[in-house]
Amino acid sequence: MATDPVDVLIVGAGASGAAMAWSLAETRMRILCLEQGDWMDPAQYPAMRGDWEGRQLTDFGFSPNTRGRREDYPINDAGSPIQVSNFNAVGGSTILYAGHFPRFHPSDFRARTLDGVGDDWPIDYRTLEPWYDLNARMMGVSGLAGDPAYPPKELPLPPVALGVLGETMARGFNRLGWHWWPSDSAITTREYEGRAPCVNAGTCLIGCAQGAKGSTDITYWPAALRKGVELRTRCRVREITVGADGLADGVLYHDAEGALHEQKAHVIVLACNGIGTPRLLLNSTSKHFPDGLANRSGLVGKRLMFHPYAMVTGLFDSRLDGHAGPTGCCIMSHEFYETDPARGFVRGYSFEILRGLGPASTALWGLQAGRVFPGTGHHRAFGELFDHTAAIAAICEDLPEPENRVTLDPQLTDSDGIPAPRVTYRLSENSQRMLDHSVARCTEVLQAAGATDVVVQAPLPFAGWHLMGTARMGTDPETSVVNPWGRCHDVKNLFIVDGSIFVTAAAVNPTNTIQALALHVADTMKKNLATLFD
Amino acid sequence: MSAEGNSGELSRDERRTLDAVLDEIIPPSADGRLPGAGQLGVSGYVDGAVRAMPAVREMIVQSVAALDEIAVRRTGRRFATLEPPDRIAALDDLAASEHAFPPVLVLHAYAGYYQEPAVLAALGLEPRPPHPAGYATIEGDLTLLEPVRRRARMYRDA
Repeated sequence: MATDPVDVLIVGAGASGAAMAWSLAETRMRILCLEQGDWMDPAQYPAMRGDWEGRQLTDFGFSPNTRGRREDYPINDAGSPIQVSNFNAVGGSTILYAGHFPRFHPSDFRARTLDGVGDDWPIDYRTLEPWYDLNARMMGVSGLAGDPAYPPKELPLPPVALGVLGETMARGFNRLGWHWWPSDSAITTREYEGRAPCVNAGTCLIGCAQGAKGSTDITYWPAALRKGVELRTRCRVREITVGADGLADGVLYHDAEGALHEQKAHVIVLACNGIGTPRLLLNSTSKHFPDGLANRSGLVGKRLMFHPYAMVTGLFDSRLDGHAGPTGCCIMSHEFYETDPARGFVRGYSFEILRGLGPASTALWGLQAGRVFPGTGHHRAFGELFDHTAAIAAICEDLPEPENRVTLDPQLTDSDGIPAPRVTYRLSENSQRMLDHSVARCTEVLQAAGATDVVVQAPLPFAGWHLMGTARMGTDPETSVVNPWGRCHDVKNLFIVDGSIFVTAAAVNPTNTIQALALHVADTMKKNLATLFD
Repeated sequence: MSAEGNSGELSRDERRTLDAVLDEIIPPSADGRLPGAGQLGVSGYVDGAVRAMPAVREMIVQSVAALDEIAVRRTGRRFATLEPPDRIAALDDLAASEHAFPPVLVLHAYAGYYQEPAVLAALGLEPRPPHPAGYATIEGDLTLLEPVRRRARMYRDA
């Protein structure tokens, strides 16, 4: 283990840190990544055991506050109707994500110009297009060309199976004349680059034991390690240190036993997600940066965006074979994606059609939804739900607002004594109107597909999967934290590549765009190595 | 407190009482096709699931003890030996006391029950983990996309 200075130190081995490490590796610079979690062993994933569904209530749950894993840090999200969901390991939250992998639309980069809200990005769709293409090859993305909701794109693998559930829903969309398309999915539908194809086990959200889902521990990381990148696990970064010249010069981190170490570096890249990155910056105070590192704009931690989710579940008389297939990847619809002022809100939302649930998840969901109670009548109620449900997640675009933010909690700390992040968030009026509209449209299409009843959950409380905007990109140091290629305006050897740098949120799952941005930042760094700090 | 202490397994008597409670949460089906959760011994699953949550586990242990105390006080017998009406009355008394079961008990009861091989088989499922075999499904009819393919471009240039 080297402790002398490295050329590039990446903090976080999740979606963006992995892509960054792999891309920079060709420079032959000395690259080190510090990750607070550990490698996951797919042979130990819950899906290999009979108690797999129950593990979502314990060590494979969405919330770091209830999982009981030492690798996690607590998050005070009591001040938000949406609770944060993440995972800390090599692969980060891609270990638990669904792999639903759409791109942004071109209009997502011009919300201010087109719709008068949010801000424009300093880059556009064309800037990211080659990186979306490269990321599709690296992550192993399946899908179908020809979607009228997008500029032309090619994906390396054919789409995931529709299944009975997908066909049923597709017919519903067709009856209404609405758009739908097989989902772009980071799931291998054929043998691909040494990865086995999906076997439709429906266990994507607790780690893919098959290796079909593109989590970065099995995509970017093996390639990056072969190219010489060093990845050090169980290393939790406490603080970024600053030299007399005001540049970042290293980090302080705790090892698995809690011992504190110092690691010097010439360039530091943060890839800790939209909660972890502002937490680390705000915890890195110095005489140069008394309000937190790279925070002269005062925007670090502000403009937090989730995607408010509505989930509407339809109950069908017929069986839907819903437990078979990748959990969150089936078909999607962008019928209500682009702005239509007649709807009473600006921007829009997408539909992600979800597969059905396993038996234990059905019972637990039924309890939560007020449909399957304990005691008399339990079995009848369960029988009405199991394999008779199809759900739609409406992913609503959030708008950036300074009141929605991440700060440091004055009391709560992690196991190493580092202040925990505190989330303060409220739904905007625009988001609420959009949610209401999406619920009505979800209901309409479920009924068109044959649903006899629906259950509505909006906003979905545990759906804080998408963490964006807390160190936004821009050209003006007064109104942004990083420049158009991820370099902090205030600290020219400090880069950010995770969802923090999003300017607006769009209305699709962000991981594909996070990784495309990381590849774009890495490419720009490589082209400007001689003048990187100018 | 359990005879084995907070970190050990529930005692036989505690499990017996807890299984009786679980039979009230998920009773046998009226047609006899599905057993009750207690009959399947789901208390063992619950005990394991909460082992990493000492505070929750302690609450459950205290609830079990309080429930038996209530049952003995009301009838002179432990909870597991009571007939259904007396069980309901004892559970109502417990719910009104400071030792009500934590709500998470129901979650683990559901999870444990619907992972039991006997239950999966009765539901027509293979009693096995999803991996490595996975499940078969239909690819689906992509000609259903024809009306969507005929649509004009939907995205905005920017």
